[in-house]
Amino acid sequence: MNAPLQTQRFGSGHSVRRVEDPALVQGQGRYTDDVAPAGQVFVRFVRSTAAHANLVSVDVAAARAMPGVLAVYTGADLQAAGVKPIAVAPAFRRPDGRPMATAPRRALALDRVRYVGEAVAMVVAESREAARAAGDAVLIEYHELPAVVDALSALKPGAPLLSDAPDNVSAEMRHGDAAAVKTAFDGAAHRITLEIVNQRVAPSPMEPRSVLASWADGRLTVRLSSQMPTGVRNGLAEAIPGLSADTVRVLVGDVGGGFGMKTGIYPEDIAVAYAALQLKRPVKWQAERVEDFLTAAHGRDLVSRAEMALDAGGKVLALRIRSLANIGAYPSTTGAAIQLLIGPWVTTSIYDIPLIDLHLTAVLSNCAATGAYRGAGRPEAIYITERLFDAAARELKLDPAELRRRNMIRTDQFPYTNPMAQVYDCGQFEQMLDQGLLLADWQGFDARRHASQARGRLRGRGIATFLEWTGGNALEENVQVNVTAEGFIELTSATMAMGQGIATSYVQLAHDVFGVPIEKIRVLQGDTDRANGFGSAGSRSLFTGGAAVRVAAERTVAQGKELAAEALEAPARDIEYTAGGFSVAGTDLGIGLFELAARQSTARITVDGNAKAAAPSWPNGCHVCEVEIDPGTGAVEVVAYASVNDIGRIVSPTIVRGQVEGGAVQGIGQALSEQVVYDGSGQLLSASFMDYALPHVDGFLGFKTMFDQSVPCLTNGLGAKGVGELGTIGATPAVVNAVIDALDHAGQGRNAEKVQMPLTGERVWRALNGDYDAPLFG
Amino acid sequence: MTRMQFHLNGRSVQADAEPATLLVDLLRGPLGLTGTHVGCDTSQCGACTVLLDGAAVKSCTLLAVQVAGHEVTTVEGLAEGDTLHAVQEAFIACHGLQCGFCTPGMIMSAVGLLQANPKPSEAEIVHALDGNLCRCTGYVNIVAAVRQAADAMSGERA
Repeated sequence: MNAPLQTQRFGSGHSVRRVEDPALVQGQGRYTDDVAPAGQVFVRFVRSTAAHANLVSVDVAAARAMPGVLAVYTGADLQAAGVKPIAVAPAFRRPDGRPMATAPRRALALDRVRYVGEAVAMVVAESREAARAAGDAVLIEYHELPAVVDALSALKPGAPLLSDAPDNVSAEMRHGDAAAVKTAFDGAAHRITLEIVNQRVAPSPMEPRSVLASWADGRLTVRLSSQMPTGVRNGLAEAIPGLSADTVRVLVGDVGGGFGMKTGIYPEDIAVAYAALQLKRPVKWQAERVEDFLTAAHGRDLVSRAEMALDAGGKVLALRIRSLANIGAYPSTTGAAIQLLIGPWVTTSIYDIPLIDLHLTAVLSNCAATGAYRGAGRPEAIYITERLFDAAARELKLDPAELRRRNMIRTDQFPYTNPMAQVYDCGQFEQMLDQGLLLADWQGFDARRHASQARGRLRGRGIATFLEWTGGNALEENVQVNVTAEGFIELTSATMAMGQGIATSYVQLAHDVFGVPIEKIRVLQGDTDRANGFGSAGSRSLFTGGAAVRVAAERTVAQGKELAAEALEAPARDIEYTAGGFSVAGTDLGIGLFELAARQSTARITVDGNAKAAAPSWPNGCHVCEVEIDPGTGAVEVVAYASVNDIGRIVSPTIVRGQVEGGAVQGIGQALSEQVVYDGSGQLLSASFMDYALPHVDGFLGFKTMFDQSVPCLTNGLGAKGVGELGTIGATPAVVNAVIDALDHAGQGRNAEKVQMPLTGERVWRALNGDYDAPLFG
Repeated sequence: MTRMQFHLNGRSVQADAEPATLLVDLLRGPLGLTGTHVGCDTSQCGACTVLLDGAAVKSCTLLAVQVAGHEVTTVEGLAEGDTLHAVQEAFIACHGLQCGFCTPGMIMSAVGLLQANPKPSEAEIVHALDGNLCRCTGYVNIVAAVRQAADAMSGERA
């Protein structure tokens, strides 16, 4: 009876307990490996120990003869069966006009391997132990070839070649007006040049990849940990002969973190599905952590020479950036797009910079492929731009916040079209800056620096003001509502939960319309027999899928009124809906929503709703970080972090705070500790959590996080902007700028700008002693 | 194969295990307790943390036969009927989880800490959780949840 009150407590805009949590805290989650059908058998992949080699022979005879082994497959077996390599859309070109160069990425390697960890053979056995033992019995003879693991080396004449192309350029793009930029630089009062490394990192969701495939009644069912069930379904149907989208069902249960790494189809998905088709048994592969480090998509890996031209008053005239991206051995279209296109879309960020000259080359190497990782191109681009602003402020002897302010897009310039033809619908960038400076007590910094100094610590302060592009350019979503006789409302969506709490946000949005207790609203995702679409990536789910939830819910109520009118024998215009019940205005006649569903011939009311955002959303913010350095060890500690974020309208306040702060810790990880390291021969040195330094609990915990909801997005029905990647994008430059500020103040001056991520104690200690890594571009 | 007996979540159980079987594999496989997770292969991530005679241990680092005659508690053994353990309750209340994969291990480490040290300092909470990795939350709300659980549990005792 208290619908309005309930709506206030549980509806959008209010903090609620997540609907996902009761199961998860009791160990009742259903991750892929938790599902164990009777008769399941286990896969062990035999992986290349060579970074680059011709396969002389793959001898599986001994392995096939071992106890418990059902089958051993090689690349030749799969080729003979007609299994195709993963398709690469020809969206990008090489400088010579030929399509993007890449080697065919097969489920199992054929003839040649191109990075350490590439799957060469697949053992299927009755137990994990038997599969592992038989895997060890597969004999691979390699004819090793020279390997190359970084973009600069891969472009040198005589470098080992990864594909059929005459060099290791996979694809290239140039953006902007090079001649106009040159003129601007020639006449500029100030010119800044930096060499910048966005090092390769590993996304590292805590649940490694996992696949469980089974064949029954003419259909293949594949359960896996993925952000894009439909993409996996279509990829399997394309790769494996005899399958079509209709005969494949992809199911996704709980996903133990994605961060972009679980967006595409992987070779292992195809191999495991193929084995299930052959053996007619449920076939399971659970990746070990080392397999994720070796073969799951890595992120970033961009080296850049970045230049900024400014006039005497600090107005930025132009940016000129030359970047080389190491996209690995078997890049996807996405892997190239992230660096060639998505990053450039935001390079000028929130600033009114009229001219750009961006030259980006995606380079093949004997490393794992790069792909989407939280931010995907925007962290790299924003890091470069924000580093340039700090360097320019140092050059012009201006407060870095003031220099940024002088260049921000003004509120009267919207809609604003940036030099990459991207249109920002709205933004109040100075308003974010002002609030950020206040929250961080920007003016009080000198006193804190002195206090740190008195304790023998070097304190620095860094700022990043920025925006990002969200939506993945997949801006349409459908949601189906089913009101059931059993007394619950089911929302079906092709977006995918992966820990971000999207189900809770959808339930809150549906509660706004239906007014029933949130326990009566359920969200169904991760079943390609029920819903298909792009999936969840690019911070798109809420402002596309959430908008569709609202549309579908409102349409359901409208249709319900028609049905209630029939049931109650009253004109539809007299029917009112409140909190789970229809009534005839001015009477005591009424019928409950679920009772109405029970009256239907299908025992349910089914309504589809569709929403399409008109454009990407442009979340933005001001992040300010303070660090302390121990001059004896170089160890960096984040000691303060304040952020003001514009993510438009907020549906779930607790959840978005968790997204920004958890995301910021990932960005801090890139700034201070994380790095994927290959040695010169292509061996992966950072293949476990002993060697890959993920942030631990002993890092910074005292975030001050604010949201300004006064600038709703104008191009979608909710007014919401994406939130999932914002913290990661802002944190990395804010932290690094703070460390450089401390180094500068400690006497390193402009030299400090030569330091590169990750800012480990060793690197920072060397920098304090004037010892920096050699220049990249010479 | 060794026939062994131990106490699991308050009940006596019998199980068969090979000498090389890890405790986590016994729990997740034959015993069907899939709340205990495996997130790495080098004993770093802590997703497999359980209590052994009340102390938090990584079940990927113990052989199953080592727990014969001992008492093991997994995340499935914390709630009493519909009533969640105070630590579980606090993780929900403080948004101390996102994807939930590290959560059972985090909760078991926290329960182990609070059983031994009902009023931990923040430094003690951080120390107790340093063997558990989380990629989603940035740990902020996890530490807050353990603090809140400690307060709730000591309030109950008072």
